Amino acid sequence: MQNTLRKSHIIADRTATVSRLEEVVATSDEFDQVVAQALPILLDRAAGYTKRFLRETGQWNDDIEHEKFALRWGSEYLERFLVCGRTEVPCRPLFLFDSLVAKQHSRPEPFCYHPDLLKPLGRFLDGLVARAVVSRDALIALYHHSYGWGAGDVIAVTGLNGLESQRIYKNFRRWRESGWQRTMDEIGLTKMELAELENQRQRHRQRFNSEAERLIRVAQGHYRKSEPDHYPCLSRSQWGEMFSQGYGCDYRIWHLALCLDCMQTAWGLGSSGSSAGEKPRLELQVRP
Amino acid sequence: MGQEEDLELYRLQLLESMSERPSHSGRGLLDPIQVYVNERRVGELRGAEIEATLNIHGVDHIETVQLRTEDGRLLGGLVAPESGFRTNRVGLSADMVELCVHNTVQGGSLSAVFIPAPSFWTRTRSLLADIVDRWRSRRPDAVMAYGFRTVAFTQALLAIAVVGLVADRVMIWMAPEHIIAPTVQAEVLRTASIGEIEQLAKQLRELRSMQTKVGEALQSQEKGMTLLHQTMARLSSTQESVASSVVMVKEEMEKRQESPERETDRPTQFPAGKGLVDQEQFEVAIHGLAADNERLSKQIAGLEEHNRMLTAKLQTAIAHVAKAVEQNPERVVAREADLSRKHQLVPVADSRQSTQGQPFLFWVTFSEGTTQESIDQWVNGMKGHKGAQNEGWQEVQILPPPVPPDLFLEQIRGEKIIKEARLNH
Ligand SMILES: [Zn+2]
Repeated sequence: MQNTLRKSHIIADRTATVSRLEEVVATSDEFDQVVAQALPILLDRAAGYTKRFLRETGQWNDDIEHEKFALRWGSEYLERFLVCGRTEVPCRPLFLFDSLVAKQHSRPEPFCYHPDLLKPLGRFLDGLVARAVVSRDALIALYHHSYGWGAGDVIAVTGLNGLESQRIYKNFRRWRESGWQRTMDEIGLTKMELAELENQRQRHRQRFNSEAERLIRVAQGHYRKSEPDHYPCLSRSQWGEMFSQGYGCDYRIWHLALCLDCMQTAWGLGSSGSSAGEKPRLELQVRP
Repeated sequence: MGQEEDLELYRLQLLESMSERPSHSGRGLLDPIQVYVNERRVGELRGAEIEATLNIHGVDHIETVQLRTEDGRLLGGLVAPESGFRTNRVGLSADMVELCVHNTVQGGSLSAVFIPAPSFWTRTRSLLADIVDRWRSRRPDAVMAYGFRTVAFTQALLAIAVVGLVADRVMIWMAPEHIIAPTVQAEVLRTASIGEIEQLAKQLRELRSMQTKVGEALQSQEKGMTLLHQTMARLSSTQESVASSVVMVKEEMEKRQESPERETDRPTQFPAGKGLVDQEQFEVAIHGLAADNERLSKQIAGLEEHNRMLTAKLQTAIAHVAKAVEQNPERVVAREADLSRKHQLVPVADSRQSTQGQPFLFWVTFSEGTTQESIDQWVNGMKGHKGAQNEGWQEVQILPPPVPPDLFLEQIRGEKIIKEARLNH
């Protein structure tokens, strides 16, 4: 009896919050205030839209993996709404939110969907590469997670100069301190799932890495589209020219982190031959 | 059931991290700010204590602009209008980024300006600039104006005091000795000695000269500010022209790309319809152009080399055919071996020393009407001498020529008196 009473209270609260979201807000501060009270509603709404999108495109399955996927993207949209929506005042927040999500879903491939990317290893890789697109720390950390390299190796392999090197060390430090954990939280990988991944890595190294290579190629192919527009794959001689003449620093860092093939192609160009041993193979690291 | 809890936990975690935002604490003082347009990274703002600008022009409409820290945190941004301008100031603790988006039918452009928090010096400078403004417009309000009025007031007081003292002295001089001055006057008399008056006057002068100095300092400061403003204006116009030339280069590249020649192996391919540029991409584009150019010129050089080789082969083939016609096959093989040995010798050995013992023999016929005298002259000119004669052919012996025999004969044939030349009779 008390339970149903509480439930009806919650429903009444929700209705009030939703109708407040439908009213016009005049200032950015008002926007922040109204939206901050409605985060759960907005998150569920965005997840619901994503779910519908997946259903309509034949990519849905009734399981927890798909639910988590919808939640993850829902929260991405919500984050963007929180930051960008406040510049849209005066507006009706709910309608703005709906149109923002609809806009995302009208893009050609709004997210990287592949059934194998919904399992723990796939989620780990998808989350890592997706994060690399918006975070330079994560981008640099991809070198570590893919090949087990430290900051010094990254600097040598990509042939960076002194100024850029300092930045790489910082990227590594921040990733270890907080970036990795935040990313794991965002993808919703539990401690147990992470421990299991680590376990597989140690016990079935080869199988683990070849599966990881297959999946990371799917993710890299998708997220490379977020690279600045004209960063295509290059031939060995083209990479060589870029390295020897010292330009395209950003190109090297971005593309080589997000392309296993070009890493093989450009191998040994950066470190002036010092580490030009065997070409690097994927050696997936779970921990930062 | 466990799964549902797991899902709810995940949801709560997401909400929790969401309500922590936005937080600006994550950005280090010197860390660049990543700029994204339509969810694609287009460049970064590197501003520590100086202003930094990023200009983006593209053929695509701009839908969203986002600013992120190195660790991926969303700092701010804006949703662009379908057409027209929109600006937004994104505050980052003390610093600020000013975004301005402009969408037209031709495409969208973005200018992002990093405005650092005013440091001590910039604060001082702006204060001084402020003083200059007030000084010039003589608006007697606010802090500094108060200061000036105080100075003026003090000055006036001193002047009155001096006048008062002088008057007193005059009175004293004029007044008979026996007049008893009132106590106040006596006080003034005692305190205001001539020395003191002079001291007061001196202070007055000092005050005035100080005032002049302050004025001068302010004026030079003002000049500095004007210069600074001019420099800034020049800088920003340079930046604009760089940005517009970037657009031109990009358009040029797109035109090139439209011609359907190569597909994948070009370093500077611009997908049509997408075109956001930054400095580095500009460099890449230029390098790409240079590389293409270089490749072309290499190809041309290669073709020329190939051409030369073909000509040489043709001549050798002609020589061989000529030989084959007049000699039997076995000898041809022997000669060829001989020939190739000569080929090897010529470039390796120093011609004079090692081959002096083996003169180079060849046969020539002369053009009709050539006199014996001019033949002798020609042979002497080559430091050679004549050998046997056979059916109108003359054998000539010379020191081995510095070029291969085929080429040498070709040179000989070019001479006026020579009708034909060959290695063997
Ligand atoms: Zn590649």
